[in-house]
Amino acid sequence: MAILEATKIHKSYGNKLNKQSVLSGLDISIEEGEFVGIMGSSGSGKTTLLNVLSSIDQISNGSITIEGTEISNMKEKQLAEFRKNHLGFIFQEYNLLDTLTVKENILLPLSITNTPKKIANEKFEHVARELGILELKNKYPNEISGGQKQRTSAARAFIHDPSIIFADEPTGALDSKSASDLLNKLSELNQRRTATIVMVTHDPVAASYCSRVIFIKDGTIYTQLNKGEESRQVFFNDIIKTQGVLGGVQNEH
Amino acid sequence: MSINVLMLRNLRKNIRNYYLYVFALVFSVALYFAFVTLQYDPSMDAVEGSIKGGAAIKAASVLLVAIVSIFLLYANTIFIKRRGKEIGLFQLIGMTKNKIFRILSAENFILYFGSLILGIAVGFSVSRLILMILFKIMGIDAIASLRFSTPALVQTLIVFFVIYLLIMLMNYGFIKRQSILSLFRVTSTTEGNVKKLSIFEMIIGIAGIGLILLGYSISSRLFSGDLTSMTQLSIAMITILASVIIGTYLFYKGSVSFIFHLIRKKKNGYLNIKEVLSLSSIMFRMKSNAILLTVITTVSALALGLLSLSYISFYSAEKNAKLYVPSDFVLTDIDDAERFKEALVADNLVFTEKKTEVILVDVNMEKVLGETPKSSGIVSKIMPLPVISENELEGIDVSPDETYFTKTSSALDNLISLKDEGPIEFKGTHEVIPQTYTTINKDAPILGYFTGGGLPVAIVDETVFERLQNNLDPALQKKSSLNIGIDMKERASVEQANDLFQNMNFKKGSITDSQLETKNNQKQNMGLIMFIVAFLGLTFLITSGCILYFKQMDESENEKPSYTILRKLGFTQGDLLRGIQMKQLFNFGIPLVIGLLHSYFAVKSGWFFFGTELMTPMILVMLLYTALYSVFAVLSVFYYKKVIKESL
Ligand SMILES: Nc1ncnc2c1ncn2[C@@H]1O[C@H](COP(=O)(O)OP(=O)(O)O)[C@@H](O)[C@H]1O
Ligand SMILES: [Mg+2]
Repeated sequence: MAILEATKIHKSYGNKLNKQSVLSGLDISIEEGEFVGIMGSSGSGKTTLLNVLSSIDQISNGSITIEGTEISNMKEKQLAEFRKNHLGFIFQEYNLLDTLTVKENILLPLSITNTPKKIANEKFEHVARELGILELKNKYPNEISGGQKQRTSAARAFIHDPSIIFADEPTGALDSKSASDLLNKLSELNQRRTATIVMVTHDPVAASYCSRVIFIKDGTIYTQLNKGEESRQVFFNDIIKTQGVLGGVQNEH
Repeated sequence: MSINVLMLRNLRKNIRNYYLYVFALVFSVALYFAFVTLQYDPSMDAVEGSIKGGAAIKAASVLLVAIVSIFLLYANTIFIKRRGKEIGLFQLIGMTKNKIFRILSAENFILYFGSLILGIAVGFSVSRLILMILFKIMGIDAIASLRFSTPALVQTLIVFFVIYLLIMLMNYGFIKRQSILSLFRVTSTTEGNVKKLSIFEMIIGIAGIGLILLGYSISSRLFSGDLTSMTQLSIAMITILASVIIGTYLFYKGSVSFIFHLIRKKKNGYLNIKEVLSLSSIMFRMKSNAILLTVITTVSALALGLLSLSYISFYSAEKNAKLYVPSDFVLTDIDDAERFKEALVADNLVFTEKKTEVILVDVNMEKVLGETPKSSGIVSKIMPLPVISENELEGIDVSPDETYFTKTSSALDNLISLKDEGPIEFKGTHEVIPQTYTTINKDAPILGYFTGGGLPVAIVDETVFERLQNNLDPALQKKSSLNIGIDMKERASVEQANDLFQNMNFKKGSITDSQLETKNNQKQNMGLIMFIVAFLGLTFLITSGCILYFKQMDESENEKPSYTILRKLGFTQGDLLRGIQMKQLFNFGIPLVIGLLHSYFAVKSGWFFFGTELMTPMILVMLLYTALYSVFAVLSVFYYKKVIKESL
């Protein structure tokens, strides 16, 4: 069964006179336990897609269901309630609160749901050990490296076992070593916890860690690649080729 | 886009953000203009004439200028900093610094002089109300009528024009220093200081609290009799001031983060949303505002203290007058009294008269002065006390070896702390009469002129009184030894009698006093002082409240990304708002509580010199202050609400 089902979603910005359509009737379906990559050229609407899928932004038209719940017409309060129970986020700019320690940052999603302190601590130990940041727990974000920040961010996304984790260019600000560390951790967690991950990226290396890559162009899905039983190297080459067909060298920012 | 269009757009965009700045500006101008209008108004001669009020009002208007200009300049630094990015952008698109300066100046000019005109209008319309309030407080029966005063207008315009020039100068300096690079720096510098608490900071934190407590504890012993010489007293006062002010600074610099750190540590990393938004944020931010907060706390404590004291004095005017002048009218010369009585009779006013003979005798008090023998510094062991015979008072019978003391004033009581009973000696010229005395619960029945304003009156047996009379030391005696008290039968006729009393031609240099007049005088003096202190205090309160609000505006913008994250994680706007309310409770509450505590201890250490009632007046003043101050906390929560709403 699909954990996320989006049909005919439209999203446009601006007013009637000056309308810019970013998503135009896009369909997407994500199965439980998948690690899906979303690629596309800069400005193609990747972030927009991720935002509407994750209920942070509203769609203009269409429907999105997550675990059978229709989220496109929920009220702000219901959406917040939904996010705190079902979704996890990792972003390019780390998105840590810099006045909180690593541990306090990671525990935030559990604090929203009033998880008992003992269970919270166990979960923290577990996820922090998996991501190799346990010994950093009392440090503040500006005392640790970018890669460590992003792993903290990832730990926060995983700690409450959400149905889906959304990641927007999580490796965008990392050097290649930290990036591959993080991606290895993500795919490990994807397999061990059967966590569903949707990751936007413009980096073919990052995309090659996914089990499926979706290419978007002009507001709709251009094509998809499945990794299947291929090795990462082969999959990487496929991605590069598709990207070439899609047009131009990818150069974001 | 032409420069004018750009300017107008900026102005429109900014005015919404800066409505409080405009309000504060209008408010400052209005207060100042109203104040100078009063100063130049002829109807104030009555007020000024009586008590050198003119000098007080002038000094106050200078202070008012100081408060207002510091406020406006400080507010300007906050606002110009916020626009650093915009200035960088203008430069990036190729505008010269001079042109940018011209845009800013023009924009400021409209904002500033618009508010100035508005402020003058408001100031003029409220000045009559203010004058009425002043007259009411001082009990003056004049009609408050005001004319528009040109010199007041000119003075206001000059003062605010000079402040405008200063602001422009500051902006010019700021723009000159600004480089395009600062565009990219703006946000990153603010977060640089989030680190673990160092041992040094913990020590600072503990020292801050320690110093404040030290100051408080010295202040409560200031007049308890331990400190006797004038030098000791001044050293103690300076120590109190220094330790409280430095302590306050260290408190903001370290204690707050230290305490919050301890609380956080207990949570072991598991914070709820309120703690995330309040504890963790304040822990790092209060530090950087330490100087500002110290100034605000100290000055508001000072204002509160002065206001409480003058209100205490005002509030106690009636009681004080009764203590000093125990009858409606007291005279000390027989002829004066005869003529006054004739005048009363002529007007058909009914009264009673009571003549009391008062002599002054040196009394050896060595054995009954408070526990501390050191008192010798200020109070000598032998005091000349007024003595009256038991026959002067009804219902009092003293045995020949016994003396009653009436109550001493609260101020004196605090200084010399007499025992309730004990042995004393009357020292006549030829003989020494030993007595035991008891303090009775009775106020002195004679004019404060004889008691030096607060010494106890000794009531002795008739025989003892005669012996003392035969033994008088002429050098100790006052010019008159007769206390002639006149009390009106009808309360309603006191005022009429007082008018007669004021118009009598008493002998030159003879002592006379009217209770009503004494009370009114104190009310007038204290009323004017209270009015001026309240005026300045209110201005300070509003301006410092605005500054805290502006700081919070900045802070909310800085924290916006955090709100975005939290909302993405699933916290609702309501959750965040509750956290912010908690945060503002601390942000405004901590300086408020510290300020109130400071002023409480200051007032408590010396209030008895000012009046007879501590709690009611002080609490009233503090409640009023707290209420006004809270307005800014509430306003800042509304601003945060807007920022939170926009954050996702
Ligand atoms: N809040 C917004 N308002 C108006 N236009 C927007 C907004 N967010 C994104 N867009 C537009 O939508 C398009 C897609 O943006 P985005 O989803 O960020 O692309 P990507 O992440 O693929 O680079 C861009 O052309 C951008 O200009
Ligand atoms: Mg993007």
